[in-house]
Amino acid sequence: MVGQKHDSLRIDRRTALKLAAGAGLAATSAMQMPRAARADNTTLSIWTGYPELVPYYQAVADAYAKTNPGVTCTILSTSLREHEQKLSAAVPTGTGPDIYDVGFNIAINFIEAGLIQPNTAAIDQYLQGGAWSKVIVDNFVRDGKSYGLPLLLSTAALYYNKTMFKEAGLAGPPQTFGEMMDDARKLVKFDASGKMIRSGMSLRLSGQGSGIAEKYRFILEPAGGSLIQKTASGKYHQNYDNEAGRAALQYYVDAVQKYKVDDPKVQHDADAFVAGTTAMLFREAWVIGEIQAKNPTLDYGTVPIPSWTAGSQKKMLLQPWGIYVNGKSSQQDAAWDFLKFLTNQANQLLLTTMTGWVSARQDVDWKPLLDKIPQFEVFVSTPKDVEFYVEPVLAPWDEIETRLADQLPAAYVDPALKDDPAKVAALVHKWAEQTDGLLKEAGLYGTE
Amino acid sequence: MNTEGIVVRRYQPWRRLFGLNWRTTLFCYVALLPILALFTYVRVIPIGFSVVLSFYKWKLISPLKPFIGLDNYIQLMSDDNFILALKNTTIYSLSTVIISILLALPLAVFLSGGRRFSAFYQTIYFLPVITPMVPMAIAWKWIYDYNYGILNYGLSLLGIAPVPWLTDPGIALWALVIMGVWKVIGYNLILFLVGIRNIPPSYLEAASLDGASAWQRFRHVTLPLLKPILLYALVTSTINAYNVFTQVYVMTLGSQAAPGQAVRMLVFDIYQNGFQYFRMGYASAEAVALTMIVLGFTLIQFRLVRNAPAQEA
Repeated sequence: MVGQKHDSLRIDRRTALKLAAGAGLAATSAMQMPRAARADNTTLSIWTGYPELVPYYQAVADAYAKTNPGVTCTILSTSLREHEQKLSAAVPTGTGPDIYDVGFNIAINFIEAGLIQPNTAAIDQYLQGGAWSKVIVDNFVRDGKSYGLPLLLSTAALYYNKTMFKEAGLAGPPQTFGEMMDDARKLVKFDASGKMIRSGMSLRLSGQGSGIAEKYRFILEPAGGSLIQKTASGKYHQNYDNEAGRAALQYYVDAVQKYKVDDPKVQHDADAFVAGTTAMLFREAWVIGEIQAKNPTLDYGTVPIPSWTAGSQKKMLLQPWGIYVNGKSSQQDAAWDFLKFLTNQANQLLLTTMTGWVSARQDVDWKPLLDKIPQFEVFVSTPKDVEFYVEPVLAPWDEIETRLADQLPAAYVDPALKDDPAKVAALVHKWAEQTDGLLKEAGLYGTE
Repeated sequence: MNTEGIVVRRYQPWRRLFGLNWRTTLFCYVALLPILALFTYVRVIPIGFSVVLSFYKWKLISPLKPFIGLDNYIQLMSDDNFILALKNTTIYSLSTVIISILLALPLAVFLSGGRRFSAFYQTIYFLPVITPMVPMAIAWKWIYDYNYGILNYGLSLLGIAPVPWLTDPGIALWALVIMGVWKVIGYNLILFLVGIRNIPPSYLEAASLDGASAWQRFRHVTLPLLKPILLYALVTSTINAYNVFTQVYVMTLGSQAAPGQAVRMLVFDIYQNGFQYFRMGYASAEAVALTMIVLGFTLIQFRLVRNAPAQEA
């Protein structure tokens, strides 16, 4: 799941001047926009599940206040899970904020409960006016009505350590998952006692939460499966009790037990990549900020997630993150006006520059950023050979993903699965039944 | 027999119940009223409401909340996560309570003998009790770290191979038990110390004069007289252990954490159903089940331990 903490990028003086100029331009353009309402002494409360977005929100709020005297913003941030829980308790009782950012899978619950109002015609026109691609906009449309605005994108790519690749005699990053495993076997390192000191690839093997299943999907989707599939009649059913689902699980099991290129015991995730204790990692753009802040001399590259086999489709997850006006807010017009300012071109560039999260807009000029940090390329410019997949907009989605995630860590290290395809198949079948069960309970299950 | 002048008082059960007179009784209840009202508001009503919720399909943010009778309870019986959480919590609770009491009792006997630095040791043992759980759980996460943890460093000095305390599904639960014992041992130690120091020295002196050994004095004098304290320690430790949550939550966060299922506990399961999946009705049914389980254990403990000191002493 998106939502890991990371520091802001370091900004040199020139970049800071550019940003200031950008913010000034943004403020100027905002002055030219029609105002639905600009009440004096208005305080807009904003809640975010990303503490790293607070400086960004504050910078935009300060710029907005210059052209809208009397409008101030209070920003409250908590961890992502706590944020979702606070919203779930506060919004229905009318004690929530004016504005909040949240994933559509949470927002859909509020929409279905009537706690987020459909966008007005003007906001709908703004959303559908070409600033955002159709695949993004579709995530904000439900039953023909649009809700909220896209704020940022979460897309995971493959980070690889160029120094380690050179040392291992590898010419470039892997193009297929088979190559990735082969490369990892050359990159993994053990000490004299046989203890792994550097993993060949850092997979998500432990902990709890939907992120574990999300990483499983990084392999499942290129292999040709998906957690659930929509039918022609608009219903859903699981789509991983098949060759792809079994292959994805087997890939993890092999990585840990057969080829020993990763181990739950060693350091993992962004920390490991930044510290140089893993050679490859699937992660979102925010890791670039971590590297800039903690190990700026690291020589690394970012490329799309490999395809399953040579010639098969490369696939990457695309998670648009939205920002919404509380349906119970008494300051709807002022809140929407601020959101239009927040999501304009200049402020969306500021978002990526300040936080590492990628703007959801497609019309941002990324050149200044890419000249400075080319590793952003794969995140901000859609690679030609990649197909994006998005998460289905369903109320029980988080539960479906989390309940699968509950099962995965034990399976990855279960010795019984190492050389027993029948047991792998039985386990995947059991999980898939659970997924269908949740869909049935929600009245969403169907196969035709 | 001359009965003149003797006032015959009729038996008045309410007097016996309430004490001296109705004015005193009234004063007591009026004085207690604010705290009783507060207790009712913050405890009794929410608990009662939880019981009510458990009979509904109560999604936190859904406008429809239909009555479903016992369906939530029936579903619990076949919920793998609930059964796993119940099993893990029971293992954790029994282990933590038994080990902490078995360690605290001899320590209390040892420290009760007026030894040097006794107060210092009591303070040291009690420190974990008053330390907030979240920072401590984070510290323990580091202590248990496979590569950099101080525990594995200590083991390496003894020539023992490092142990994947958190990441091994078979070990993670026991790592939580160790932390749970560390957290509660000081509390039980202080309780036992108070109990031991309240035992009249003449009892132990009499036993000594009768030729009782140290073990016999402990077994036949100290332990029976400590039973009320032991009961209290057992009950409070069991209740606290069954409510374990914070350390589970902290220690399963992140990629370098314990596998969630290996340490799934009841309160964590309630939290997940209630606040992550928004199934408040189902989570309430779990909470009611947890209350019944803890109540059952408490009654068993009362039955096993209560009332014996006077007879045995």
